[in-house]
Amino acid sequence: MTTASVSSARAGLLFVAPAVILMAGVLLLPIIAVAVLSLTDYSLGSPEFNWVGFENYGKIFSQSRYQGMIQATLTYVLVVTPLSIGLGLGAALLINSLRWGGAFYKTVYFLPVMATLMAMSIVWSFTLHPTLGIVNQSLASLCNVEAMQYWGWFHRSCEQGFPLWLGDRNYAIWTVCFVGIWQGFGFNMVLYLAGLTSVPSELYQAAEIDGASSPWERFRLVTWPTLWPTTVFVVTITAIRSFQVFDVVHGFYDQGAGPSRSAYVILVAMYEKGVKENLIGIGAAIAVLYLTFVLILAFVQKSVAAKREQVA
Amino acid sequence: MRRLLASAVAITAGMTAFAHAQEKTVVEFGYTYSYLFDVTFQKILPKFQAENPDIEIRVRSAYKDYEDGTNTILREAVSGNLPDVSVQGLNRQALLVEKGIAKSLEPFISKEADFAKDGYHKAMLDLGTSNGSVYGLPFAVSLPVGYYNMDLMAKAGVTNPAELPKTWDEVVDLCAKMQDAGIKTPMFWTWNITGNWFLQSLMWTQNEPLLKADKINLDSAAGLKSLETMNKLFRGCAMPNYSFSDAQKAFAAGQIAMYYTSTSELGAVERSKGDWKLVTHEFPGLEASGPVGLPAGGNAAMLVSASKDPKKLEAAWKWLKFITSGEGAADVARTTGYMPPNKAANEIILADFYKQNPNKETAVRELPLLREWQPYPGANGLAITQVLYDGIESIVSGEATDMPTLQQDLQDEVNDLMPKK
Repeated sequence: MTTASVSSARAGLLFVAPAVILMAGVLLLPIIAVAVLSLTDYSLGSPEFNWVGFENYGKIFSQSRYQGMIQATLTYVLVVTPLSIGLGLGAALLINSLRWGGAFYKTVYFLPVMATLMAMSIVWSFTLHPTLGIVNQSLASLCNVEAMQYWGWFHRSCEQGFPLWLGDRNYAIWTVCFVGIWQGFGFNMVLYLAGLTSVPSELYQAAEIDGASSPWERFRLVTWPTLWPTTVFVVTITAIRSFQVFDVVHGFYDQGAGPSRSAYVILVAMYEKGVKENLIGIGAAIAVLYLTFVLILAFVQKSVAAKREQVA
Repeated sequence: MRRLLASAVAITAGMTAFAHAQEKTVVEFGYTYSYLFDVTFQKILPKFQAENPDIEIRVRSAYKDYEDGTNTILREAVSGNLPDVSVQGLNRQALLVEKGIAKSLEPFISKEADFAKDGYHKAMLDLGTSNGSVYGLPFAVSLPVGYYNMDLMAKAGVTNPAELPKTWDEVVDLCAKMQDAGIKTPMFWTWNITGNWFLQSLMWTQNEPLLKADKINLDSAAGLKSLETMNKLFRGCAMPNYSFSDAQKAFAAGQIAMYYTSTSELGAVERSKGDWKLVTHEFPGLEASGPVGLPAGGNAAMLVSASKDPKKLEAAWKWLKFITSGEGAADVARTTGYMPPNKAANEIILADFYKQNPNKETAVRELPLLREWQPYPGANGLAITQVLYDGIESIVSGEATDMPTLQQDLQDEVNDLMPKK
């Protein structure tokens, strides 16, 4: 190697050094530290700790408390991801077909995305208050309507009181899912609207000439395939965001994690163990598990996107 | 303009010189529950400042609740910026002593000439005593009391405070009457207060501690009786699984007739309630004679300073003593529903105050019952609190119906989390 190329290589290293050092300092080292801590029983403020190997992970997969955590997290992800994507796509298609007024709907549907979830959870807990909240009061005011009485559930509720949306274990996780969808689908709508602008209108005309006369045919043959890259991205982002759910649950239930721990999602568990109860070891193990989930999702997205490119 | 500038310079210079002449000792201070205690410290601080112009109290941002307070101190201990005085939940003191963060107050107490005369009596000091030496002076003490909406109670035929229920069985009977009269939520029992306070209150009612000889005492007869009493209350009164704040709103709105919670909520309830008559009364027991004991709630001031400077420690002690005795302590009662933990403040300074505020006096009448709010030992202390919380919730939600099974499950799960010898 000539001296010139050595010195230019050295200069190159110097140029990337700040980025590498920053990445190691703020991303890699903390992750390694968490992984190491997850093998200990360290609790904050204690002068010493013991190595416990994989005991913390063993607890996560054997104790019923953590099985509940995995169940709640998967319920939330599997409900919120498809529904908020479906609603987002539906809203985007409808808005896209409007001649005027699209901006109004876009703004309305996007408003919850801009709101702070923590503040929204406080507003929702007022709205869903068992007796004073507007939801149950509105429902109760319909009790005088004759036709509603044929609906068994409604009839029973009129007599016994409407549900505790947040305090009943049969409803709690679904209420949390509902707020998650309410908050999230506007974001997906915006992503799909952006995707729709890239669908060339000639394709629709060509499809029509080829005999695709119904709107459903045109959607199936033109819109959906062109939107595929957007969809892969939206699915990944929404799934990761659903794994991240924390603020709503924390806002609703700052003491526990919902009735009978039915809303004990993974980040709430991590916060409860690592921050509230000072049990850093088990908290770190949950964090590692969470990181693994998210990494798997990212890899799946990458491989699906790559495969599609080869097909195309 | 030039003259203005010149005088500004002169004033600034003068002030700097003044500040240097009066080198103040700074005491860093943290407390819990700003919504309850901000008003209290707004009253106490000027009084202290007038008496001690050479000490500056620097107040840190308040802790959200007791758990947050303890966690903040633990983090500050790791990062090395502890305050000098901190107000901590009564049941969290032991943890800070265990971890060596709280300093013993004995050296300061021994220098005080008539400490007992200042109104600190033994039962109160016991709450902050660990291994024979005092680590915390109680600042604000609470006890559970009954709150009654007399307008709704009238529907069950109770119009006179003397007829208010004395036992939990009477409460259940009243619930049945009220439900017949169309009241959907006759009663709420704040089982969800931090630190399993209400479970401990049922245990102390039977003169039994929840922790005995470093073991959880749930598998005793008293433990089963506590769980069964809760089950009977929750079922008999059709008590909904309200959160703490949902219940408070519903009670303020006049939808709940009997509301059992800490006397500390009295200020907040009085401020938010609608147009109906509120009366507080002694906490019911299992027998007509009432509870044998009740756990003390509230918080204590602790010295957590890492400083070695005797002048600073002396100043911190002065502040600590000021807020827990005399006028400082009296302001606690004047601004909140808490009681000052101080005999002198209760009996002399506040005698007239309680005559005018009979609702605040209920807890003072219960003072002879005062017992310890027991902390759970070891690193899993807070995790144990959560396990018991979840267990009680399963009674509220109706998930657990067989109390002996629940008793055994909780006993095993908690003992699993206790420190191994």
